[in-house]
Amino acid sequence: MYLLKIAFRNLFRRKWRTITTAGILAIAIIIFLWMDALLVGIENMSFDNIINLESGHIQIGRTDYFAEPYEDTLDKLFKPTEEHLATLDKSEVITGFTPILDFPAIINNGADEFPIQVRAIDPQSYNEVFINQDFIVAGEFVKSNDGGLVIGNQLAELLEFKVGDYFTILFRDKQGWFNTIDGEIIGIMRSPHPEMNLNTVFIAQDNVYTPLGLESRTISHIALRIEDREIAQHYAAQLSEDIADKELTVRTWQESAKMVMAMREAGQLENIVLLGLILLIGAVGIINVVILSALERMEEIGMMKALGLLERSIVKVFALEAVGIGIIGGLLGCGLGAVVIAFFNKYGISLATFGMSEELHYGIPIVDRLYGAWNPPAFLLIFFFGVVVALLASILPARNAARKDPVKTIYHR
Amino acid sequence: MPLLELQAVKKIYYQGKIEVPALRGIDITVERGEFSSVFGPSGSGKTTLLNLIGALDKPTGGTVNFDGRTINDMNKNELALLRRYHVGFIFQSYNLIPVLTAFENVEFALKIAHKGDDKSTRDKVMDILALVELQGLEKRRPNELSGGQKQRVAIARALVKEPKLVLADEPTANLDTDTSAGILEIMYKMNKELGTTFIFSTHDPMVMGYARRLIEIRDGRVSKDEQRS
Repeated sequence: MYLLKIAFRNLFRRKWRTITTAGILAIAIIIFLWMDALLVGIENMSFDNIINLESGHIQIGRTDYFAEPYEDTLDKLFKPTEEHLATLDKSEVITGFTPILDFPAIINNGADEFPIQVRAIDPQSYNEVFINQDFIVAGEFVKSNDGGLVIGNQLAELLEFKVGDYFTILFRDKQGWFNTIDGEIIGIMRSPHPEMNLNTVFIAQDNVYTPLGLESRTISHIALRIEDREIAQHYAAQLSEDIADKELTVRTWQESAKMVMAMREAGQLENIVLLGLILLIGAVGIINVVILSALERMEEIGMMKALGLLERSIVKVFALEAVGIGIIGGLLGCGLGAVVIAFFNKYGISLATFGMSEELHYGIPIVDRLYGAWNPPAFLLIFFFGVVVALLASILPARNAARKDPVKTIYHR
Repeated sequence: MPLLELQAVKKIYYQGKIEVPALRGIDITVERGEFSSVFGPSGSGKTTLLNLIGALDKPTGGTVNFDGRTINDMNKNELALLRRYHVGFIFQSYNLIPVLTAFENVEFALKIAHKGDDKSTRDKVMDILALVELQGLEKRRPNELSGGQKQRVAIARALVKEPKLVLADEPTANLDTDTSAGILEIMYKMNKELGTTFIFSTHDPMVMGYARRLIEIRDGRVSKDEQRS
């Protein structure tokens, strides 16, 4: 108890040194927490955008289609059976599902053309799974028996399309012959998913079967929305068993978010590097403090030894002081970090800060502003990490101080 | 059995490869309850002798027996435990712990020695502080005390655990004459009342005046050992 008391009071003996060292540790912690909030924010926004605009939570399609969806797409389609649909209908986890026919094509405005992915949808059920219709900035979203096309704002800008303009989509049909679909642009969408704004166009399924030479209800996959994205993998495995169709694969949104998942792994590596830097900063600060304190308190160390205190108890005094600095730095860092993150979460940061734009997004499915996200485990991790680093960094210099010859320390020789 | 027996004790320091003998063969026996003074010119080896007696250091040659135990054979922890329970130190520069109050400085010594529960510890500390005339100053930190008051805290700290031996290295060197006399009176009283053995190193004639035994050290040897009535 006395060792703790001495250590605690020593923290305030050189207030500015304690505050400076704890402050340096706190700054490192704030940087870590901010970076972590940034990565978690990117992750959350990216996952949300992919799930809400591109893939849904779960997809069911042919295994060969998922393996290579852009090559010979029309040979990898399927027609869901009554049993398939009944299985999905009776599920309590699924909140909505919709059949989708994705196929590659080229869009033409009469002068220029651009490669795209056509998403032929069932307008009624599509809105149960996706929210693309919420981002219409001109015209309207696809409706049943409507021959019109909805395109993204970037594609509209690129080919100078406006609502009401005529388009031509060029593609190969099931027999391999070139065919086209003509019509009007009925809507322009600006979603938070930049790839959807440039590469994907939406059309009602009824309008594509004949030109493609396909039977009605033929699709590339079914997209599902479930209650919670966290249970997607678990539920996908169960659904796979329920459907029991060897040709079909049930996959989750994580497969569509491979790029972001890879970024998450890179982010974890970045966190490790940051933790290493904090370790270094914290360790250097603490070692410096312990060495200086030991030099200043040489006579005191000698007196403690004369009083019969064992070396390990003297080490404890310095280690407790270092832990104190770690706690102050940790609390300061976590407290100020929380303020920074709260601000960041509310107001976000423009992607332009990172040299990114809607056109130049490096595959990250986010536009405009990036918002952070709370990650409470990161606060706990970095707080305890800071304290442990402080403790470990103090041990060696404290042992050196405690091992000094008592005669030399008492007389400060 | 005497409290201390030193036989042919030598201590050599090294400055690089050069040997610097501090003690060249000391033979002393100290009985319990003595109030002795070790004196001699600067560099004669007084402090070195006290450090060896107090188990702060080990001799290069000869033997130091403390209460029947030879300190030559003890490791660092055993020496620390001997000091913890049986030796009290008083230094010229007081060596109080600056972040602790007068009360806490004294209590700390007792806590280290694990003597008594909280209530008895508190009573004991208050009693010893009263004995060294520091009532009312218990809550002051060392920087709020005068030199004499600090030395009285140091005396209380040395005595509170009721050690067999108190070693005082030039205890009055930083104090004025009146304060020195007060400090010596207190130590003399402790010796009488508690029977604690005191050994001083000093070149202060007033301190020597209080001693009942005078041991003179010159060039690392005992040149005079005189009992006084």
